[in-house]
Amino acid sequence: MSAQETPVKRINHGESPILSFENVSKRYGTLQALDQVTLTVNRGEVVCLIGPSGSGKSTALRCANALETLDSGRVLFEGKEVRADDNRNARQVRRRMGMVFQNFELFPHLTVLKNVTIGLTTVLKLDEAAADKRALTLLAKVGLSDKASAHAANLSGGQQQRVAIARALAMEPALMLFDEPTSALDPETIGEVLSVMKALADEGMTMVVVTHEMDFARRVGNWVVVFDKGRVIEQGPPRQIFEAATVPRTREFLNHLGWHGESKIEPAREPKQ
Amino acid sequence: MTFDWSVIWTNLPRFAEGAWMTVWLAVVTMALAIPGGLILAFLRMSPFKVVSFAAATFVEFFRATPLILQIYWAYYVLPAYFDMQFSQLTTAILGLTCNISSFNSETFRAGILSIRKGQWNAGKAIGMSDVQIMWHIVLPQAVMRVLPALATTWVSLFKDTSLVSIISVSDLSYVSLKIRSETYRILEVLTAMAVIYWLMGYPQAKIVDWIHRHYKVVE
Ligand SMILES: Nc1ncnc2c1ncn2[C@@H]1O[C@H](COP(=O)(O)OP(=O)(O)OP(=O)(O)O)[C@@H](O)[C@H]1O
Ligand SMILES: [Mg+2]
Repeated sequence: MSAQETPVKRINHGESPILSFENVSKRYGTLQALDQVTLTVNRGEVVCLIGPSGSGKSTALRCANALETLDSGRVLFEGKEVRADDNRNARQVRRRMGMVFQNFELFPHLTVLKNVTIGLTTVLKLDEAAADKRALTLLAKVGLSDKASAHAANLSGGQQQRVAIARALAMEPALMLFDEPTSALDPETIGEVLSVMKALADEGMTMVVVTHEMDFARRVGNWVVVFDKGRVIEQGPPRQIFEAATVPRTREFLNHLGWHGESKIEPAREPKQ
Repeated sequence: MTFDWSVIWTNLPRFAEGAWMTVWLAVVTMALAIPGGLILAFLRMSPFKVVSFAAATFVEFFRATPLILQIYWAYYVLPAYFDMQFSQLTTAILGLTCNISSFNSETFRAGILSIRKGQWNAGKAIGMSDVQIMWHIVLPQAVMRVLPALATTWVSLFKDTSLVSIISVSDLSYVSLKIRSETYRILEVLTAMAVIYWLMGYPQAKIVDWIHRHYKVVE
């Protein structure tokens, strides 16, 4: 499938916001991790956050998921302000938002199935049978039905990350956050995780993805936000960012990753690295 | 020098009773000191300064003073100055439980703190409360990790129960020393005492070794 044939949803940015950052700032000591960040995620969109290490991408996700309090500005999710300092509010927000971490963070003392059902039984109070049924459906979806009774620690990285995706999806979130979901993986298992993510995007799941996989950002993303030193230096549709970036720092960053424009894109579905 | 081992055989039922008391003391103490240790650990990690300070003081007192002193103190000082009188057995269990709970609390605290923050975040991300995360995710992993340390504490507890003989609780040590003073067969009685302790303690030490090998954390 070539890049041109990939069905890209054309949603006008700003149409139906589900998550928005309004001038969000966050400091750690003297370090300005986020500096007046403003961005919007619409329903059904895949928004990719890119930028150099330490530029604030993970911090932005943690602010969205009420894991971090803000110094100023606000984050709105489904029309309501996200407040990390209000436990009830924070839990409600997190329940509606799935999050996938770079290091998977599966629960190593539980089986794969239990990793997926634990949120269902403890948070949603489903009974065991209903939880198992939903979990098995999701494990099938990420291609791991046969691993349900395995221990999380005995899976490959790619498999663990797919379980983590199933665990998040089980809560039926309105939005999925991914923080460098493939950065800790061996090159040969990156593809399996990216294709699960692409399938999700094709189903219309709203996603915010922090990634260094530029092929993914370009093909699956609808909107790309470039971070540098805690600030959003440029944002726009992938075509604009990857082919006609107006900010020199963006081009510098993309060049640094070995991205030199369209001529370098491989038509293969699985990004190379 | 002549040996008279018949002393041992005729007193075997008393040795058995003493041995039983030793096992019973250790089991009851540990059964109380596991929840006790957990509670102290949670109190010590409390965000309320007064609570954590009180728990820390308690723990550090019992960890840093000899058990024998704690038992004497509970037995003689509490009734004399605080009008609290317990039976010898209750005093023994009280002393042992406070002491072992303090050690266990530090073990549990280290175990809980060793679980990385990402596990908390993963629990939070699916909407679990802090209590649910502690109960379903952190504590089970922490307990597995500290099993070797708990097992080591158990072995020393088993031997330390002998200290309660100083307040006349009839454990194996007390019974043995009593038989000795009745019969004057010092060598025979002390040998029997050693053999019985060893027969009970050796399998435990082997199990502990196995636990150490089996539950060693690699991370
Ligand atoms: N808990 C924290 N305490 C102190 N500093 C922090 C903390 N978390 C992040 N930082 C700092 O804030 C800055 C932004 O970090 P963040 O993790 O958001 O960057 P990132 O864009 O996700 O980078 P990477 O690509 O390396 O993951 C970094 O300089 C980081 O060292
Ligand atoms: Mg990061």
